[in-house]
Amino acid sequence: MFSDAVNKDIKPGRYALVQDLVEKEEHFHRWIEHPSSSILHHEASCCEEARLWFLAYARSMEIGAPSQFNIKAPTWLSDLFTWGPTEWPISWCQLVREDVVDCGVFAALAREVFKASGLQAHPAQALLSYNETCTRHWRDLWKVGSSDKKQKSDRETFPWIGSEIVYHELCVLEGPDGEAKVYDSTWGNWYLPQPRIGFGALLALRTECPRLLRWGGKTMSCGEWIEL
Amino acid sequence: MKQKIYISGMHSGQNPCSGVGIARCIRRAFPHLTLIGVDHWQGSSGLHDASIDDVFLLPQWSQMDNERHSKQVRDLLDQDHLWISALDMEVYWFSEKLGPHKNLLAPGGPALELTAKPAVKAFEGMNFRVPEFISATLSDSEVHSFLRRNSWQCWLKSPYHDAKRIQSWSTFERSRESMSKTWKTSRLFIQRHIMGNEETYAFAAYQGVLLSAVHLEKRQLTPEGKTWAGRVTPVKAELFEEIKEVIRRLEWSGGGEIEFVRDPDGQKWIIECNPRFPAWIFGAALTGTNLPAKLVSKIWDLPLLESVSKYNFFTRVVQEIPAQESVGIPLPPDPNSMVWSSDGKKGKGGPAPGSLPRLRSATGIKNDEDDDEESPLLFEPEAVPTPLIAEIEKITRSFMGETPTRIHLEEWTQSKFSGLEAKLRECRLRSPEVRIGYSLKTSPTDDYLRKAKQAGFYAECISQKEIRRALGFGYLPSEVILNGPGKFWPITTPPVLGLHMLFCDSMDEFERVIQISGFSKCIGFRVRLPKLNSRFGNPLSEFDNFKRIVDGVKKLKGKADLGFHFHMPSWSIGVERWSQALESLFIWCQTFEKLTNAPVKRIDLGGGFFPSDLQSLDLKNIQSMVSSELAHVEAIYFEPGRSLTQDGEILVSRVLDVRRRPDGELLEIVVDACVAELPLAQAYSHRIFFCKKDKRENQRLELLKKGHVRVLGRICMEDDILSNGLDFPDSVDVGDFVVFGDAGGYERSMSYVFGRG
Repeated sequence: MFSDAVNKDIKPGRYALVQDLVEKEEHFHRWIEHPSSSILHHEASCCEEARLWFLAYARSMEIGAPSQFNIKAPTWLSDLFTWGPTEWPISWCQLVREDVVDCGVFAALAREVFKASGLQAHPAQALLSYNETCTRHWRDLWKVGSSDKKQKSDRETFPWIGSEIVYHELCVLEGPDGEAKVYDSTWGNWYLPQPRIGFGALLALRTECPRLLRWGGKTMSCGEWIEL
Repeated sequence: MKQKIYISGMHSGQNPCSGVGIARCIRRAFPHLTLIGVDHWQGSSGLHDASIDDVFLLPQWSQMDNERHSKQVRDLLDQDHLWISALDMEVYWFSEKLGPHKNLLAPGGPALELTAKPAVKAFEGMNFRVPEFISATLSDSEVHSFLRRNSWQCWLKSPYHDAKRIQSWSTFERSRESMSKTWKTSRLFIQRHIMGNEETYAFAAYQGVLLSAVHLEKRQLTPEGKTWAGRVTPVKAELFEEIKEVIRRLEWSGGGEIEFVRDPDGQKWIIECNPRFPAWIFGAALTGTNLPAKLVSKIWDLPLLESVSKYNFFTRVVQEIPAQESVGIPLPPDPNSMVWSSDGKKGKGGPAPGSLPRLRSATGIKNDEDDDEESPLLFEPEAVPTPLIAEIEKITRSFMGETPTRIHLEEWTQSKFSGLEAKLRECRLRSPEVRIGYSLKTSPTDDYLRKAKQAGFYAECISQKEIRRALGFGYLPSEVILNGPGKFWPITTPPVLGLHMLFCDSMDEFERVIQISGFSKCIGFRVRLPKLNSRFGNPLSEFDNFKRIVDGVKKLKGKADLGFHFHMPSWSIGVERWSQALESLFIWCQTFEKLTNAPVKRIDLGGGFFPSDLQSLDLKNIQSMVSSELAHVEAIYFEPGRSLTQDGEILVSRVLDVRRRPDGELLEIVVDACVAELPLAQAYSHRIFFCKKDKRENQRLELLKKGHVRVLGRICMEDDILSNGLDFPDSVDVGDFVVFGDAGGYERSMSYVFGRG
């Protein structure tokens, strides 16, 4: 249950609001139990070539790039791939031939880039609020994209779209002072810890960083959802 | 009233949509109606405007399911809600996907067809003329002819939106490329520019009945050509009848705008007809004609009261409004996405601060020229080296010959070659060794080749012809490095074998090269690093290309040593970016080594260094970096050409003419040099010196600072301008010497004979 997984150190009103919203969602069990996405490696040259190409490419994309918080974020990922459905599991050798990938792939790739730069990067999962009109369109987009791909494989896409809430994957960077930075590699934005309600608001967040992290006034511990 | 009015196109930026204007019009007339702002982007600023009651935020168009969206809009329309579209593209989308509906306030397909740019056929017979136009897909020669015939005063337009002013062939080519990509269409057209005042007729119509129309004379425009202030009057009765007839034929519903230019003779030239209300529509409501309200009043039979303003002008202001939390403001983008995204400006928008320079002049603040005190520098400029200026001075003092004359600076050039040779000697105790390949193409004179050979440099060639020149000069094939896309030129002669090193420019070339036994001791790949724009080398930005190189490296095993070459001139990308690119190259080399188990033996870092950048290049540090990153590399190569030769020659010229204003102020000087001797005059920062003809014995050579006097070349070519502004002494006279430094390198090798009879 979301209520079991969530950090209780939050304002009861907002917590109840999010809990109500989340529990109305058909797939919320899968969201809160879903491990963050990672890219499969076949332990063969096919995947190693693809992974090493990607990491070398990432390094080149840092030429002349400015940094924020001393971090060169891979904003170029959205030039390399378009956001859309990915069929899971996906391996490195498949990935480099894809044009369209989902937020799980974007986040996993960004982690690789950050780690290659010597940063402590961890998976993060988020629940975001949107309206039903958006979620319906996204569901259609996923249906069309998945059925196109279905003809080629029997893998499946992750049901990230609810009615008013969506599941999303991000990257958490661990600063030396224990301060977290939350990066959305799908859209190239840094999330801010100030809570907000409404369109696109971040409702809850979970990270797999094995150490406690501070983010704004919040403390994040490994595997625990916090409400914002 | 439970029915709502959906208004799309709510962004109100420097190029505003009309959604906010429409909402304000309706709110002003009917405070009780429910208005919903529609958009596809959280950053749409009008969604925060007080004129709307609620927001309908849709996903980006690329994320929309057409069928779902058209069904949703149809459901809303069937429930008697109104939808007023303020986006051209959305109107086209509706006409294609949804079709007509009594509550959809947008024109349908036939109306759009008849009002399409550039012909705007629907208004033929209404005393409009259409500016001459042609398709941009015609042959370049036909387009060029059209542009010439119209004095390069034309617009390149897409059939939907957007227009770029075309004043030269280069702007046309650039704009055609970018507009085709942006609008994903090749149906661009070029239209003659009409000089005159911009005016428009805006109207509201419902099912073919014209309800009202106004006439706007634009008084102030933004730099993007958007209305900032204007005068609105009702259209004259006769014209109203003419528009009414057209609207009837088109069965128009919704707002519309006919844009035209009135030339100085009063002729009206139609530019386009927009299928929606214009963004300034609230300006019309302020002056007494509320078109969106008339439309709603007609459909829902609501009484409408209007008051006419005595002063029928409006203007815009910029104002801040509170943002709605429920809509939110987009998250801040990472700085990476912002670099250069606004052409180096902090942001565009609003009217041009055209008055600011005038204010600057009017303030009485003294001119910069009046300042004796110079501002402190945050950057120490490079001084002209004393030996260089001493040698130029020595030559200039004794010079008696005909001008223009290019003169070789032997002592300076020798010091450059010797200096580099000495730097190499310092590196000898370390590994990998550092070697130089002198770039023949830059300046293939005997003198430079001799110096290169004496210094122990290899010859870097780009063709068989260049190789033969090097061999003729005493080089052995094993001292030749072969690069470039034209290695086999001329293909009528067999290639020279047994070379020291060769870098393939493409994988197709590699496949041919490895068929030739004994071609080169080292065969490598010139790589094109992602993010660095170049026409040369094997692009690494695509995985499949990368894979081909991996396979190529495997094929090479046992046949030749493996090398990699990258060449991005530091003088064009900057030293810091060059260093970052070098680090990136190491990663690529490590990657190839890991995947093929083939050791990288040689790295060629190319040339293109600015003269002083090569001197300050820390070769020992590069050696350390290479040895720690790539353990198998035996030699690192540089291929200087320009950096050794550019400042090793001067071009001595004499003043032919001195042009002054009537008050005596210096304006221009003409010298006897020209762009034929300095072909890169406008592309390279030359140091230019001045010396009086009659005081050479005891006068120091003067390095000219930036000033206002243009230096024109001797030939009758518009682009023969050798400097856009220098600070000449007022005593400058015919026959005085102007000495152009940095006249070696490509200035020599690319120079040509012109205008010499």
